[in-house]
Amino acid sequence: MRRGPWHQFGDRSQNFVIEQLQQGAGVGVIISPRDIGMDHAIAYSQRYHGLDAHVLFDPQFYVPGFSNTKMETYPTNLTRTTISQTHQIMDPLLVVLVNALHAVNSSLSADGLIAPALIYEAGRPDIMQLNRRLFSAAKQVGDALGIPTYATVIIGNSAVASDQTIKEILSHATSLNCDGFYYGFEFSSERIPSSREIVLRCCTGGLTLACTGLPVLHAFAGPMALLSLGFGAKGSAIGHFKNLWQFTRSRWGPTPDQGGGGNAPPRFFSSSLWGTIICPDEIIQLPPTLQNQILTHSPFSSQVSSSRSFSGWPVWDAGKHMVHTICSVVSVIAANSDPRTNANSALTILQGAVTLHQNIATAGLSLRDNTNAYQRNWQLAMNDLLTNHSRDFDYLALLS
Amino acid sequence: MPFNVPIDQAQADYPEYTFISPLTPGEQKAAFHVKDTQGQDLCLKIIAPNYNIDRVDREIQALQSISHPNVVRLIEYTRSSKPGQQKHCIVEEFIEGTDLGQSLQSGQQWSRPDASVFFTALFSGLAALNDLNIVHRDLKPTNIRVRTNGSPVIIDFGLARLLDQSSLTDTPDGAAIGTPQYFSPEQCRGTKHDIDHRTDLFASGCLLYQALIGKHPFWRDDITRSELYDAICESNDYLDEPDFLTLPEQWQVITGRLLKKERADRPHNAAQVEAILQKIREI
Repeated sequence: MRRGPWHQFGDRSQNFVIEQLQQGAGVGVIISPRDIGMDHAIAYSQRYHGLDAHVLFDPQFYVPGFSNTKMETYPTNLTRTTISQTHQIMDPLLVVLVNALHAVNSSLSADGLIAPALIYEAGRPDIMQLNRRLFSAAKQVGDALGIPTYATVIIGNSAVASDQTIKEILSHATSLNCDGFYYGFEFSSERIPSSREIVLRCCTGGLTLACTGLPVLHAFAGPMALLSLGFGAKGSAIGHFKNLWQFTRSRWGPTPDQGGGGNAPPRFFSSSLWGTIICPDEIIQLPPTLQNQILTHSPFSSQVSSSRSFSGWPVWDAGKHMVHTICSVVSVIAANSDPRTNANSALTILQGAVTLHQNIATAGLSLRDNTNAYQRNWQLAMNDLLTNHSRDFDYLALLS
Repeated sequence: MPFNVPIDQAQADYPEYTFISPLTPGEQKAAFHVKDTQGQDLCLKIIAPNYNIDRVDREIQALQSISHPNVVRLIEYTRSSKPGQQKHCIVEEFIEGTDLGQSLQSGQQWSRPDASVFFTALFSGLAALNDLNIVHRDLKPTNIRVRTNGSPVIIDFGLARLLDQSSLTDTPDGAAIGTPQYFSPEQCRGTKHDIDHRTDLFASGCLLYQALIGKHPFWRDDITRSELYDAICESNDYLDEPDFLTLPEQWQVITGRLLKKERADRPHNAAQVEAILQKIREI
């Protein structure tokens, strides 16, 4: 597994990702069958490989009953939908799954195989059993293709409330004969997770997986990618939409409306705030010294400058800027392989963000979007992780 | 209750071997030091008539698949039932030396270099089991022989389980088998599906702790079985032992990690522990 930022595929990601890779952002791409049909995925995966990116395919068994026209183009879809009611898989269907996973991953020339798995829930040993069987099918394929097989570990909402439940799930997941983990965590419906306690649980779970010595890819990390390398993950997956900034179950359910955010103004993601600020409405209310601190630029933000009026910056470019900015910071952190150092790097950035938000408040501006709601709690959670799990970091150091 | 067979009767039943001396019997096997017709020293284990045949099969399967200096070598398995002449035995290499129990006397602490060398070899043997998906499930001092050169050999696979052949075990949930002093939390709880190679890592963590500190992490003379189970599942008092706290940090980390209650918190496999012990040998 490549170390650094990965692109978590979402709606209309195919060219978006190419632009990011052309700008040197990202080490790999995680293809989402929900968002791109198989023919296109094959064509684009060649282009991604051409840009020196690694490609993974996430079979997305999370909500197996859900399907859409793009998913239906993949042979893996039959197994997904069949297990939706029973949460069981019979041997003949397991054979179908092996063939389907082989077909898809070989067509995409995948560099690793993400095993299908349902979301882990509290008190559901049947899901553990099913995921074990799904993993065994995936492992067969990974071994046959000569690529590593990653166990998918998505901790569902029902499980995140208890440390013990999470541990039980992780004890199961770490008993699989895998070559790494594709790890995600289901938070509440907040735009960006802000609970100190739950963020700590997510990081602790990731650290437990990292202590196996196997690589961990933090899936659906979004801005939380800042923390991933600090809990020992090797990779962190970043997407451009809000529903890719954490694991969102509703993404695999029927969409109630068109969505799209209407005519909302673009949000500028600032690495010094580790959050967004509305552009131009909020930025122009700040004194130039603060504007200069906030406007951390990327190749996609040239239209935004403190000396201009900021108007007319496309929302789409704001998304590109955000992903590029997060990728850049994660790349810098990833250059160091020591998780403890990486956790401290994240803490430094978060401390700067907290201070900057305080200065913004002192300047009389109250930010909308609750965009300053999480940095302090992430800082506290990371401190808790370093303090309470000091022995885990020591163990990781022994493994290195 | 150990299964005992008088040596004279054993000699009469197995005349092709020369019986030298009885060895410590198990509950279901009477063991002897014997010599074959070429004069080779061997260990012959006569299996009790009421022995669970599935367990014998498991033991044979496990032993047949391994060739490792720190795991006992199977020479022959005999099972015949001619009228009036029943034979059921396992012949293994004879490991001259002692069992680990004699080196783990209460109050006796090993030097860290000695512990490193011995346990690196032990974890190497466990890693070989790990590679074959075999869980021993009954690691304890009497199941680890110490050769005269000081290297360990894992013996007695009567409770071993092949993880990818779960049907081979008929142990129901809740039925605790093995030796309680070296049980893992999942063995105390009796949850069969939670037993994996990390169960053996917990037992070996108890052994490593005992070697370094000179006492068992959970056992004390007057302890009841339920108190022992509680201690294994809940207690972290062993971490506060003064002798444990004076160990170099790396030794505390690896020993403490082997004894974690939850499998996910233990080392991922024996090979990992083997590598770490090699790394900290000089510390």
